[in-house]
Parts: sequence; C-alpha cells; structure tokens
Amino acid sequence: MLETVDLCVSFGAVKALSGMNLTVPRGEVTAVIGANGAGKSTLMRTLAGLVTPQSGQVLFDGKSIAGNKPEDIVRTGLALVPEGRSTIPELTVEENLRLGGLWRDRSERGASKNLVFDLFPILGERASMRADTLSGGERQQLAIGRALMSDPKCLLLDEPSLGLAPLIVTQILELVSRLAKETNLAVLLVEQNAVTALRVATTGVVLNLGEVVKSGSAYEISSDEELRHAYLGY
Amino acid sequence: MNNVKNLRTFPGNRIIWHAVIVGIVWLLLLLLNNNIDPLYSSYLALVAMYATAMFGMTILVGLSGQVSLGNGALMAVGGYVFALTSMNWQTVPIIGWQWNAVWSMVFSGLGGILIGGIVGGLAARLRGPYLAGLTLGLAVGVPAITNRFPELLGGENGLMLSVPYPAGGYAALDSALGSSSDSSSGATVDPNSAVEEDQYAELDLSEFEQGANPDADLAPEDLLTDGDLLTEEDFGVGDQLTDGDLLTEEDFGVGDQLTDGDLLTDEDFGTGTDLAVDPTGITDAFDSGFIIERWQASMAIAVACLVAFAALNLVRGRQGRVWKAVRDDPVAAAVVGISPSGSKISAFVVSSLFAALAGAVFAQILSFIGPGAFGLGLSLSLLVGIVLGGRSSLLGAILGALLLVWLPELVDGLSGDRGWPEQITNNAPNLLYGLLVVAVVLAAPGGVTGTVRAWVDKARGKTRSPLS
Amino acid sequence: MTNFIDYLLGGFSNGAVIALMALALVLVWRSTRMVNFAQVGQAMFTTYVALTIQQSTGNWLLALVVAIGAGAILGVIVFFLVIRPVKNSDSTGAIIATFGVLIALQAGAGMIWGGDPQGFIPPVDNAGLEFAGRIWPISPYDILVLSATAALVIGLTLLFTKTSLGLSMRASAFNPEVARLSGVRVNRMLISGWAIAGATGAIGGVLIAPASTISPNSFDILLVFAFTAAVIGGLDSLIGAVTFGIGTGLVISLVSGYSDSGNAAIVALVLLALNLLLKPDGVFGHHGARSV
Repeated sequence: MLETVDLCVSFGAVKALSGMNLTVPRGEVTAVIGANGAGKSTLMRTLAGLVTPQSGQVLFDGKSIAGNKPEDIVRTGLALVPEGRSTIPELTVEENLRLGGLWRDRSERGASKNLVFDLFPILGERASMRADTLSGGERQQLAIGRALMSDPKCLLLDEPSLGLAPLIVTQILELVSRLAKETNLAVLLVEQNAVTALRVATTGVVLNLGEVVKSGSAYEISSDEELRHAYLGY
Repeated sequence: MNNVKNLRTFPGNRIIWHAVIVGIVWLLLLLLNNNIDPLYSSYLALVAMYATAMFGMTILVGLSGQVSLGNGALMAVGGYVFALTSMNWQTVPIIGWQWNAVWSMVFSGLGGILIGGIVGGLAARLRGPYLAGLTLGLAVGVPAITNRFPELLGGENGLMLSVPYPAGGYAALDSALGSSSDSSSGATVDPNSAVEEDQYAELDLSEFEQGANPDADLAPEDLLTDGDLLTEEDFGVGDQLTDGDLLTEEDFGVGDQLTDGDLLTDEDFGTGTDLAVDPTGITDAFDSGFIIERWQASMAIAVACLVAFAALNLVRGRQGRVWKAVRDDPVAAAVVGISPSGSKISAFVVSSLFAALAGAVFAQILSFIGPGAFGLGLSLSLLVGIVLGGRSSLLGAILGALLLVWLPELVDGLSGDRGWPEQITNNAPNLLYGLLVVAVVLAAPGGVTGTVRAWVDKARGKTRSPLS
Repeated sequence: MTNFIDYLLGGFSNGAVIALMALALVLVWRSTRMVNFAQVGQAMFTTYVALTIQQSTGNWLLALVVAIGAGAILGVIVFFLVIRPVKNSDSTGAIIATFGVLIALQAGAGMIWGGDPQGFIPPVDNAGLEFAGRIWPISPYDILVLSATAALVIGLTLLFTKTSLGLSMRASAFNPEVARLSGVRVNRMLISGWAIAGATGAIGGVLIAPASTISPNSFDILLVFAFTAAVIGGLDSLIGAVTFGIGTGLVISLVSGYSDSGNAAIVALVLLALNLLLKPDGVFGHHGARSV
C-alpha cells in the first residue's frame, strides 16, 4: 500500500531521516516507535507532503508521491492526523468534519460523515459546538474523524496519545485498529508510548536517529528485551 | 566577529576614532559647501537635514525593527518648538541668558525626547502592523493639531521664522531686510514694503499683499506666484489631509530656491531685484557677501555631523547590539537580562530626538513651519529613503538622503525637454520611489549598503544576513 | 438635543464606508496575517476607474461593477507581485512593501488622472430628506450607501458561514497546515481573500466618492479611520470591523459637528492609542498575539 525507499530528509546540516525503508500494508496497524528525535514526526510530515525529501521514494498505491503538495496527497487517499489534536478550535465540530472532505461529492461526504458519527458518537452529539469546547480525548476523535472524512486508503496517526489519559488512548486506538481490519485501511501509527502502540499494531518498526533499527511483528519487538532497553527506555 | 572585536577595543578609542572620522567629513563638507554654487548648497542643506532624520530611522526601523510612519510628525514637533521658542522667548528661562538659535535647537531636542518617550512607551507594547498603524495616525493627527490651536501654531498657514543674519546668528526679519534694502544697488526701494518690526513674527499672505505696492517695479502677482514660500501650491495649505504627497521640491520650494536664487530674495522683501535675471542680486541683497544657502547648509551639516557622531557611538556600541538583539529575538534578549520594552523605548527616544533636530533644521531652511510640509508625505519620504539606502546602516541613511534629494532632480532633468505633461513629471519621482521600495524589499532587503556589503562579503567568502 | 441627533444620523453613511474599508483590512488580515496599508490606495485607484466609466457612460451601476472587478484584480495583482514574494521572516519588509504600493498607486493615479480633486456625481439625490416638517441629515444617497453596505455585510457573512469557499477560507486563515492536510488549496484561499478584500474596498471607495471629492491622497485619512476601526474590532472579526467602523463614523460626525472636522484625525488617534493601551486585542479579538 504505502512504501518508502531509501527516504532521506535533512534540515540544513541535520539529517532527520537517512535511508528509510518502510512498508505499510492494508488492513492492519503498523507502529513506528522510537525515542524523542528519532525522526518519527519528520517521517509522517514527509509522507503527508509537508516536508520535501532530499532523496528516495514514497510509493503510494504504486505511484510516487514524494514532493507532491499535501492538498494533493490527501486527495489520493493518504490522510495525516498531525501531532497535538489538530482541530481548528474556532470552527464547530461539524465544520471541522466538513472541512476534511470539502473536495468530495456531497453524497460521498454524507456517507463518510455517518461512518464517523457511528465510530465516534460523541461527535454527533456535539456537532454544533465549537471545537474548543471539547475535551482532549474528544478533540483527538474529531481530528481522526476529520481525516476519515477524506475516505483515506491509508491513515497516518502522529502521537495520538500525547497528553491523553491511557484509558482513552487505548479506546481510541482499539477503534482505529478495528476500523483497519473491517475496512481494509492501512494505518501507520507513530508513538513514543511503545507499549500502547504495540498492543494494537500487527507490525512494529523501531526508529533511532533517522534509521530503522529493527522491524518485525509487534510481538517480536515487544518481547525483545535488549531492544527495549537500548531504544525504548523501559 | 565584529562584536567580539568591539568588546575587546577600549571604548574611548572608538569614540576618538568616530570623532576623527566625523570631524574630517565635517571639514570636507564645509570646504565643499564654500566652493560650490549656492544652488548646490541648498541641495546640501536638504541632504544633511534628511540624513539627520534618517539616522533616527536607521536606529528605529533598522536596528530596533519598529516601522514608524510618525517620524515626519516628530520632525514637526521639533520644528514647532524651534519656531515658538525663537519667536516668543528673548531670554533663556530661569538662567536669563540672551536667547539664540542654539537654545531653540536645544529645546527642540528636549521636545523630541519628551514626545519620543511618550510614543515609545505606547509603541513598546505593540508589534509590527499595530505600531505602523499607530504611527500612521500620528503622521495624520499631529499636523491636524496645528489647526486646533490656530492662534499659537498659526493653523494651516503655519508660522514664519526669523531669518539668519550675516553675522551668523539670528535677527528679526526687518534688520535683514534693512541691510538688504540699504545695499541693494539701483533697486527701487518702496517704503511700503518695509513692514513693521513685530509683524514679521506671524507673517501671512495678506501681509505680503499689503506690503507690496502695486506701483513698485515688482508686481504683487510676482510675489504670490513666483518664488513665494507662502502660496498654497507650495505647502498644500488648506488641504494638508488630502494633499499629502511625498515631499517634492515643490512642496518646500527648493525648485523655487534654485530658479529664483534664494528663499529670502529681495522679492520676498519687496526690494525689487529679480534674481532670476540678475544672479548677482544675492550679494546685492545682503552686504558682506552673506549667502543664505551656504549658511543654511553649514548649519544643517553641523547638526547632521553632531547627530552622526552620537548615532555612530550608539550603533557601534553596546546599545546597538541591544537593539539588534531585541529585534531578532525579544524573548532570548529578555532571558539574558535585556528589557525588550526598555530597548524599544530608547530607540524611539533617540530617533525622536534626531527627528526633532532635523525638524528644527528643516524649519530654518524653509524659514517657515506649517502642517502641509510635515504631513504623511514627509514620513513616507523618510521610510522610502531608509529602505532604499539600507535599513540597518548609518551610511544607508546618508545614501537614502542623497536619493531623496537627487532622484526628483534626475527625473526632472530627464523629462525636462521632452514636453511631457506636468502631471506625469510631477508624479514620476513618487512612482519611482514606490516601485523601488517594493523592489528593494523583495530583491535586496538590505538596500544599497546591505547589497554592496553582501557582495563584498561574498567576494571574501563570508555569509551574513542582509539585515544584520 | 436636535443637534446631537442630527450629527449622529449624519455619521451613519460615513461610518458605513469606514466599515467597508475596515472589512477589507480584516479580510486581508484573516487571509495573510498582515495589514495591507495599500488597501485605501487600491480603493482610490479603482474609484478613479469608476469615475472614468461614469464620466464616459453616465452609468453609475456599470461604474460600480467595473470598480468591483478592478478592485478584485488589483488585490490579486498586489498579492502576487508583492505579498507572496516577501520573505516570511521579513515582517518589517512586508509592512514597508505595502506602503511602497501605496506610494506607487497614488503617484500612478496622479499621473493618469491628475492631482486636482474631482467630483463624483451620485446616482441619487444627496440632499437631506424632508420629513415631519424638517430636513434630516440623511439623503437618499445615504440610504443607498447604508443598504449597499448592509447587503455586502450580509453577503459576506453568508459566504463565510454557509459556503464551502467560506469554510475553506476560514480554515486557511485559522490554521493553514490543517487546512492543507484536509485538501484545501490554501494558496487559492489567500488569493480569494485578497480579491474579496480588494472588491470590498472598491465598493467603499465608489460609495464615499460622491460625499466628498476624489484625489490621489483623499483617502489617506480614511486609512487611519479604517485601521482604527479594524484594530478596535480585533482585526480578526468581521462583526467587529463593521460595528466599530460605523461607531468611528458616528464619533467623527459628533466631533466634527460640535467642534470642527479637522479634529477628527486627532480623535481617531486618541481612540486608537487608548484601545491599544487598554484592550490591545480589540473588543472582538481572541488572539493574544499582539505583543512579542
């Protein structure tokens, strides 16, 4: 589904990603874990088109999308939920959701909205309220909902657990994992919180200083004690 | 690198160096002034006046990063303080010494510092566009204040100043007139044109009309149309809100100076010699070879050099680095113990002091002060000059001042013989200014000096920000 | 008391035009987070265009429509030639550049149309209406100005709240990154913002011209009033711009009525300074980003 080939990104003299190879298959959650500064967010921003890579390929559905504009990439079915509950607080819940699929046909948009409201009923209840009245967990649901409004084939989640209570994080991630299986959605989850991420993921990738240190099944990674000590700090 | 070098140098050394440099430039300028045509001396006076004001713009806009549209209004403050004190005070308050023009300059400076403190206090709380808008209000509002107090400030007609006397000081207008009348060779001196002593303090159009005798060889319409400072066209009197173009020579009558030889020619005093016809009339009008343009230029140069000396020491010293630090990163500056608002206020106070002194010089060059000459147009001129010359360097201020005086002349010279309509040639300099400002901001934000410096650095293999 | 009511009524149509100019400033602020000090210069220029059309065809409505189109185009031109190329880091430069545009536009207008003030004939009578035995300071033309302003404000409100374009523009203003990630072509939204602002300013210019005269610099004072209104309203708020635009018009009318019109600029300056001191985020503003 989504694949990177020797992806390199640098900011000035600083290399953020050096030769990254990664595959994200459909119907399951792939978790990228690593410490602060490992290059996780850079990876996500590059995939979504916010950052242009120096070299290497991003293949989505077999087509190269590296260097495309974010507004074009989302239209091909790759949606990013950026770090930090990326809703627009000045807009209502309904407007935030509508924004996610403005470029689509009205009828298709309606179907997506029903799906989001089924998935996150609280958003339906709060539809006409401004987004800044929502709680942190509700805002994260809204951010994911906005991304789903574009009917993505691949969903990129950047640190959804940031600042949320563990119980809420687990609930949200389990919903996403279920969605991936049921709708054959590819999900790339980036997390600092490795335990939570690996619990819902099928595959795990460990990132350190811009390079893939290890990839394998989620179980394999979470049971590798050496890896945990070296890169994940627990 | 530079900063480290500056820190290692004994500050006294630097001050002496600056004094030497400024002193040499001063001497050269005086030499130049005494050996060029009086016509060019009047240019020199204007350049020095603009440079004085623009040293303040360098500090405020360039180093401190505060875009001010209000410096023209601050100049007006200086000019009015100069006019009011020189007209109304005979002795220095409290001390009781004889009043002279230097004291007026001192009080103009104090007025500038006071206003700068007030505006700076407000400005320190504001960021970019808000500050620009507030100072824009200042540029429009301050000239309007003169209409609020027509008795004191002369309303839209402004105030006439006393004129300099050959001995180098100031005298009431009538003594200059008297000397010129006595010495004017062969000119018919009409007794009606000798106006009573104190009437000159608040001279206006009607008095000129009364003063001129239609029977004298100078017709009254000459007084009003040709070379007269007080026509409406010259100052936009009566519509200072609608007619706020960038100041061109017409606005303050430089062109008139050039064609008619002198701001204060015999025409103005009604002695009847036409200087456009007889250039030697200048020496006829005043004995002892006194040429007012030279005097004005040397006065403006003196003020500009003193201000340049102060500015050099501030900019190249600790204070300059403080201003830059706050401009580039106020939070970081605050962390290392610099008060961002203190720095912004001090930049405003210094800039306002310079502007007020420039305003006082300007008032003396014009022998007049009025709201039309100190409107939004003047403020915009200063901004244009500083951007074109180079926002962050004192040399840029001087180049900007040169450009402001030279460009209209260049356009005039280029279009002079081609018979283009007046509305084209009159607006061409401003169109050029506007386009140049945009082009410079986009392509060479460092202005002339910044760009040249960047080339030099590139040749030497160094890199730095064009605005540093 | 009669005086007071007369002065107050007389301020409405002036206030409506200030409101339109303030709206134009707010629209630009919302799209690119900058104050376009050339805004009234653009309006002045398009008003001259309208004047030319009216003088040659005698059709006021055609003149207005052409001015609106010209305003939108001029807004887009300024955006592309000046605003977009300015480096993001050079906020001082961006402000100065808009003043450069203002100077150039005023000089350009002076070149094309000359510096002398010209009259603009109103499409309907501009003399006070007689009603209940006395003449009121409201003319049919004032009513036209007020209804046109009201229609425009309602139209803009509907555009921003009810349409996809409006939602995209708001999202682009509040958070361009999220808007882009949602598939909004943010660049086009910025262009739309500048175009709508230019058109709004053009309408304001055409509406105010008959009330006074037009010359290349005659709108300078309007810039100060509009900036005052926009800033007091919070720079971000359309409602704020309209409310305080009309409010500024009323205050100016009262000041001019009780003292003289030369004091209006001073009053605007005082209002602006007080507001910036006491309530720096404006009355309707919600972004605490005004100081450093």
